[in-house]
Amino acid sequence: MSLRVLLVEDDRELCRTLKDAMTAEGYDVFTAASLSEGFALLTGLGARSGGPPVDLVLLDLGLPDGDGEQLLCALRQKHTVPVIVISARESDGQKVRLLDAGADDYLVKPFSIRELLARMRVGLRHRGTSVSPAVTRYAVGALNIDLGTREVTLAGQPVHLTPTEFNLLARLVRSAGQVVTHRQLLADVWGAEFTEHTHYLRLYMAQLRGKLEENPADPQLLMNEPGVGYRIIEPQG
Amino acid sequence: MIPLPGIDASADFWPAHLQRAWRAIHEAATSGTVAPMTDDDPLSPRRPARWPWAWAGVVWAVAWLLMLGLDRHIGLAQAAITLVLASALAAIWLPLVSSLLTTTAAVLAFDWFIVPPKHSFSVELSEDVLLVIEILILSWVVTALLARGRVLAARARRSARHADQMRRLGDALRDAEDPLQRGQALREALVEVMGQPARLLLLRDATTPPADEAAASTLGDPGADELVGLWHCVRLCRAFGPGTGHEPELPALYLPLRGTETAAYGAAVLPLGPGAVITEDVLVQAQALCDQLGQLLHRARTQRDAESANALAQAQAVRNALLAAISHDYRTPLAAILGAASSLRDQGAKLAPEQRERLTQSIMAETRQLSRLTDNTLQLVRLDAPGVKLNLDWESPDELAGAAIERARRHDPERRLKVWAEPGLPLVRCDAVLFSQMLENLIDNALKYSDAPAPVELHVRRHGEHIVFAVRDSGPGVEPAWRERIFEVFQRGDWRTGSHNTAAQRGAGVGLAVCRAIARAHGGDLQLRPRSQGGSSFECWLREEEAPRVEERGAPAAGGPA
Repeated sequence: MSLRVLLVEDDRELCRTLKDAMTAEGYDVFTAASLSEGFALLTGLGARSGGPPVDLVLLDLGLPDGDGEQLLCALRQKHTVPVIVISARESDGQKVRLLDAGADDYLVKPFSIRELLARMRVGLRHRGTSVSPAVTRYAVGALNIDLGTREVTLAGQPVHLTPTEFNLLARLVRSAGQVVTHRQLLADVWGAEFTEHTHYLRLYMAQLRGKLEENPADPQLLMNEPGVGYRIIEPQG
Repeated sequence: MIPLPGIDASADFWPAHLQRAWRAIHEAATSGTVAPMTDDDPLSPRRPARWPWAWAGVVWAVAWLLMLGLDRHIGLAQAAITLVLASALAAIWLPLVSSLLTTTAAVLAFDWFIVPPKHSFSVELSEDVLLVIEILILSWVVTALLARGRVLAARARRSARHADQMRRLGDALRDAEDPLQRGQALREALVEVMGQPARLLLLRDATTPPADEAAASTLGDPGADELVGLWHCVRLCRAFGPGTGHEPELPALYLPLRGTETAAYGAAVLPLGPGAVITEDVLVQAQALCDQLGQLLHRARTQRDAESANALAQAQAVRNALLAAISHDYRTPLAAILGAASSLRDQGAKLAPEQRERLTQSIMAETRQLSRLTDNTLQLVRLDAPGVKLNLDWESPDELAGAAIERARRHDPERRLKVWAEPGLPLVRCDAVLFSQMLENLIDNALKYSDAPAPVELHVRRHGEHIVFAVRDSGPGVEPAWRERIFEVFQRGDWRTGSHNTAAQRGAGVGLAVCRAIARAHGGDLQLRPRSQGGSSFECWLREEEAPRVEERGAPAAGGPA
């Protein structure tokens, strides 16, 4: 049975293009042009399958009848279905808010189909990881990270990380390929009362880059999404 | 006596009591004490006091002493002249009617005591009859002339005083900084005229005034009734109260502050004492003072309207020019996209796979161009709006540079991009999204205007108290005449020194303009510096700020390799 995707997008042209592209990749695509239609579809599909209504949701922010946040919150109450937010450049603040509220990733319009499909794959791979962390080993290039034993090696040589550095790295690895917002990182690594201390993040990320990247100003591993958060690149294979 | 401009020259020739009165007026006016400024003001008819009568009495007494005492030594003619002289002198002090009566009495007495036969009203000689009649007529004429002169002098003084008061109010209004101070100046002027403190209502704006407290301010705490009257006065733009011909039974005078015939910018209420009578003259002066403030407010408003209309027209012109420039920038990529797409649809089957691939690539590249243009335009409009708020946060210069490079790499197939950051740079305070947009624009620009395989470099270094982000290319460089103008939105043209890069035909207008706007919104600046070995360096200078400290205590004590 093919994977089911709910696409909530009010622009008809974009909606059809995306649907065709995803159908061509073998996804079963349901489209909704408004929030209410999205809710109706989720309810109907959920009742039919008994489990999660769909396998992935693509959620546009500029909907005619309300805020995409409502749909996300309603969905998050029952399921851990991956949600990817589609936003225009001018709705930056809303995008970060949705990520903090539990969305898995975001795409800024305009985006290419290749980008979309890559993000969808990452999202699907992470399905259910918030319940039981599936990723315990991470390998990219010469870097190997074992979250279980807390060991980090670069080209076979052990890398010494402080506990905070390791926790930060581990948090990113658990969402490898997905953006993790500043707020989420600060809350998970330092604690909820540190969510405004972005300068902590800057300094620890700089230290991590110094230890793991060849040229810290030209990172290949720990990517910065300005104004949103950080992303560690997706492991190969 | 304190000299008053325009009045003191003649003042010395005035009778002493007038000088005294004038001094009192002037003292009252200059010290600001609340006292009626008039001696002949009908509102306060107390002044024609004992003294004038005393002076007149003295004159007549001396005259009669002379006439009776020297009766035997002087002739009838001399006595008659003395009488005329006394009559004229007394007329200086006495009111017209009193003066005429006194003079008549004196002539009768003259006939009785001096004209032979004495102690009889009959006259002996017929020429003496003529003399007595002539004396009477002459005295009356002199008295009347003097009285007339006095009235004219009083009127002139009043006019001078009113003119002076208007001038002083004008000065005070000009010097005042806010409407309330102006209202205060008007109140002081009205106190001088009326002898009673006035209360004012001043509108903030004179557009069909609602009876709304927020739309006006008051001075002198008018009562609730008075406030209603003031609003009524403003709405009708008409004076009412005693002497105005409208609602004369009111206990106070309501005067509008008229800016034009039909628009009042406020109103004044002048409470009147019981039994007070308002003369035309006082009413006119009080209304003139009120109108002076009204007209000032009217002028200020007209000027404000003109200025805002002007600013609006200018903004409109700028916006139109911006829209024209932007729509021009949009048309080019749109034409390319439409051309490529229609070619794919209509000739798709006839095209070689490489040709189709090239058309698809063109569509994607032009779309990216449009997307960038849209972002830049939006940002430019946003930064241009008043009170724009940046999402400032502490950012690492390395990361900003890295993010920009990573994005730019997606359209840098030749991998010409190099990035270098000085180690140990401090955090900078900026809006990461905006700042990345600026760096991406600059890198895009450098890639577009320099030909492969010349490298494009992003350097971040410390320079004194600044962090400098420099995007450097080895292109043909920018003509000196264009080094400032390329940052202006509407400038376009080929500023490069002899290159044939087709991309350069499209203005970079919006892109560089938004870059500079972003740098300046951060309190920094963006400059173009020509490189010694050719090419340009676009440099964004940001002032270094002290970042907050990081304390290790925030880290949870987890195990692991340390």
